[in-house]
Amino acid sequence: MAALWQDAVGITVAGLLVGLAANALSPRGLSLGRDYFPTSQPVASRASSSHPPTAAQPTTSKHGHALIEHAEAARLFADPKRQHGRILFIDARNADRFAEGHIPGAMRFDHYRPDETAGEVVGLALIAERVVVYCNGGSCEDSELVANDLLGFGVPAEKLVIYKGGVAEWLARGMPLEKP
Amino acid sequence: MNQIASRSLTLLAARWLLGAVFIVLGTMKALDPVGFLKLAREFDLLHPAWVLNAVAAVLPWFEVFCGLLLLLGWKARAAAFVQGIALIAFTLAIAWRAWTLRQQTGVAWCALRFDCGCGTGEVAVCAKLLENVGLLALAAFVAFGDRASRAPRSPH
Repeated sequence: MAALWQDAVGITVAGLLVGLAANALSPRGLSLGRDYFPTSQPVASRASSSHPPTAAQPTTSKHGHALIEHAEAARLFADPKRQHGRILFIDARNADRFAEGHIPGAMRFDHYRPDETAGEVVGLALIAERVVVYCNGGSCEDSELVANDLLGFGVPAEKLVIYKGGVAEWLARGMPLEKP
Repeated sequence: MNQIASRSLTLLAARWLLGAVFIVLGTMKALDPVGFLKLAREFDLLHPAWVLNAVAAVLPWFEVFCGLLLLLGWKARAAAFVQGIALIAFTLAIAWRAWTLRQQTGVAWCALRFDCGCGTGEVAVCAKLLENVGLLALAAFVAFGDRASRAPRSPH
């Protein structure tokens, strides 16, 4: 039994080292020191002033970002300003999900892999008048995390809205999707 | 075939099955560490952030590593022992999450379904707990079953 315990400890140590090495080498590896789910200060005071509350539905997310319904998302999508970059849709999902289909013209920003597209997306977000962030919809919180990231990059809170219905609602409403 | 040879074959099959299971499940998680990170977070057991990150980053590869040891038969008893301890922890965590979900939703225990981050997608809780008990029994057999086959035989 003592030998078994000794081997078990050895395997555990070796396994942990293998895991750390594999994570470090993997292109999909996680950053151990990063807080992927920060509990940042809500931006409710700034967001709510430009988006008056209605009686029944919450208009701000738990982090204080303004939420929009499908009608508003569709209106912004149809607005000619979108063609000129003054309205920007940002997809908060990963590359695989983005490739399966996204709102036409949307840029991708992955909260867990920001380096992939931050350089391009942040610049466009700073120029745009309105930035619509979405993910799958429902309980997906990645759009909130991306909105927080964009705040951190200097995109004003007043510009940022979250389309809470996300791709699921967009598709269910018969709206078009684009594939790369 | 005598009893000892039969038992050895059974142990070999158990070792390979256990190894294959851990390699497959570990690989599924290793291919999507962000997905596993999000699911691990839902258990609300791993704090602070670096602990959550470390578990999500390392555990999948650890499973694959132990699975390979089992398949190759090197330190297989210890690998099964270690995975058995891990299975106990996972099973308790799943039961804990199921209990909290039941408190929140009032849904009957065996009607609860969620993605436990095990690598198999959304599962029914009762089935998953039973599956884990089965894997634990298999791990125990691989870790300790060989001791019976090495017991001294009667001189008659």
